[in-house]
Amino acid sequence: MTSAKTAAPAKKRRSVSLQAKKQRAGWIFILPFLIGLAIIYLPIIFNSIWVSFNDFQTVRGGGYTLEFVGVENYRYALFTDSSFVQTLATGIQSMIFNIPAIVIFSLFMAVLLNQKMIGRAAFRAIFFVPVILSTGLVDRMDAANSMLENMGTTIDTGAASTSEGMTQLVSYMDIAMLLSGMRVGQGLVGYVVDLVNGLYDIINQSGVQMLIFLAGLQSISPAIYESCSIDGATTWETFWKITFPMISPMILVNTVYTVIDSFTSSKNEVMTYIQEIYSTSNGRTVSAAMSWMYFTIVIVIIGIVAAILSTYIFYQRRD
Amino acid sequence: MNQTKITKETKNKIRVDFERTSWWKRFQIKYLSLSFLGNAVWYIFRLVLLLGISYVILYPFITKIASSFMSSDDLVDATVRLIPKYPTISRYRQLILANYFGALLNTLLLSLSNALIQTLVCCFVGYGFAKYKFKGNGLIFALVVLTMIIPHNAVQFAMYMKFRYFDFPFLHLFEWIGGKPWNMINTVTPFYLLSATGLAFKNGLYIFMMRQFFRGVPDELEEAAYIDGSGVFRTFFTIILPMSIPMMITIFLFAFSWQWTDYFYSNMFIQNGKLVLMSNFIPNAATGTVGEASANSAAGSLLIIAPLIIMYLFCQRYLIQGIERSGITG
Repeated sequence: MTSAKTAAPAKKRRSVSLQAKKQRAGWIFILPFLIGLAIIYLPIIFNSIWVSFNDFQTVRGGGYTLEFVGVENYRYALFTDSSFVQTLATGIQSMIFNIPAIVIFSLFMAVLLNQKMIGRAAFRAIFFVPVILSTGLVDRMDAANSMLENMGTTIDTGAASTSEGMTQLVSYMDIAMLLSGMRVGQGLVGYVVDLVNGLYDIINQSGVQMLIFLAGLQSISPAIYESCSIDGATTWETFWKITFPMISPMILVNTVYTVIDSFTSSKNEVMTYIQEIYSTSNGRTVSAAMSWMYFTIVIVIIGIVAAILSTYIFYQRRD
Repeated sequence: MNQTKITKETKNKIRVDFERTSWWKRFQIKYLSLSFLGNAVWYIFRLVLLLGISYVILYPFITKIASSFMSSDDLVDATVRLIPKYPTISRYRQLILANYFGALLNTLLLSLSNALIQTLVCCFVGYGFAKYKFKGNGLIFALVVLTMIIPHNAVQFAMYMKFRYFDFPFLHLFEWIGGKPWNMINTVTPFYLLSATGLAFKNGLYIFMMRQFFRGVPDELEEAAYIDGSGVFRTFFTIILPMSIPMMITIFLFAFSWQWTDYFYSNMFIQNGKLVLMSNFIPNAATGTVGEASANSAAGSLLIIAPLIIMYLFCQRYLIQGIERSGITG
């Protein structure tokens, strides 16, 4: 009798506490990240924003002082610094030009690699090589190298510059002549020439996107394709009526991924410029101001792109 | 009964028809049709295209390999393009003699330990985000995405200051105990701190991948374990963790190779060069005069990526399948 009495409320408490227990377990699982957020990341973010409104001086004894100067750093970056605005403009322009190229290229390659053929696994492996191998340190050494080589060619003009022209993948002049012979607009010629010259960069940057598209393509049920072919649709029609709408959520994912990737990559011109500013004498606060401005612009671009694309996206599941 | 008879007859009929048509006629129908021609053209076009793009991707590596073996005579000789006339291994020997293996060992230890910690932590955190609905889940996950989006250059200075004068916000524990904040620069502590809290390079992406993966794991699995009396953590360690090993291998490989080629954090945290890493050893050792520098640095970068290439040859399947399996695709 007594045992039943004690058991009943205990049971009740237990059923409530299972929820609480699970909640607590959730907090424990994300605890490492929370600690990092609290003691490292959020202070860093706030400090970085705060520093961009300050003037920084080191103190000889091993310390530093910060003096609040308002928007002085931002004004310096926008109006006094001669090339920041220009670099920012060209950087954003090239980003906007590159995004469609990367997304379309990776979609095309994913469709190709999704077909059955000999050596498919080998091609996939090769296409993923840049993601692993040409990042970070190797990239940086290449960049430093090409700078050095350019300096070399300006010093001893002649032989060196011609040999460099020969090692280039596609000759710049040929494409320009071919396209201007076709009487298309000057702007288009420039765009295509830039694309061809940037082909290597585009291929390099589309490794992960290609895989995301591939995964998306493989998740489309073969039954849909089968019924299409029974109804007599051609491959071309099937692509636009089935594959494209089904893959459209991945186009959004990939576009956002591409923006973030090119924005945070070490090859980004604006970031390189900010890095240069950082190492100048009083550039630390100015570079912080510059990067927060750039960050805001990129966030706005992501927002606009996502808003535009999400009106066209077709979701198969509507839950 | 009736039906099987019909199929038998038809099959037989097809066979007879097939044998009656001549070899040449069959050849004509199969290979001289427009659709076969179209297919063949498409096959060849596709193969050429894929080979071409593979060439573009591998081209820089090929030229690097070629120029790293060239002697200085070959470098100025315009007739030498890819195959050196007087091959030399002096560039490699020079780098290897100048403490390459020291840098290799240090980088290997640092990358392995950090990648392991990052993998475990991201798995843990991703599981928490995927399977538990608690207040603020969405908000904190938005912060994870934020760590992915904010480029590390933007917080470079603040991060340096953080680890140069490390202390807890508002508490100032180290200042209180030792009199001054903890200077972590020129030690490896910052690497491990960042890894253990899921804030190191691209860890937001790993958490995201892990979360997407765990969301695809059916809840019934854990529910069955709970009913059998297993606690939350025992369930995680005995059931969930062994199940997610392929995904963890993928993330480990990413973390390892990105930590391996990292220079940003290494150069920020290790400034006096006492700890010899790839990032501060190779760029300094692989230099030379204007003509030589590119060949030397080609040899240097090949030495950097050689371990990664070996790893990639064996593990590329995990990397590629991992992304496909992770369900980034929703």
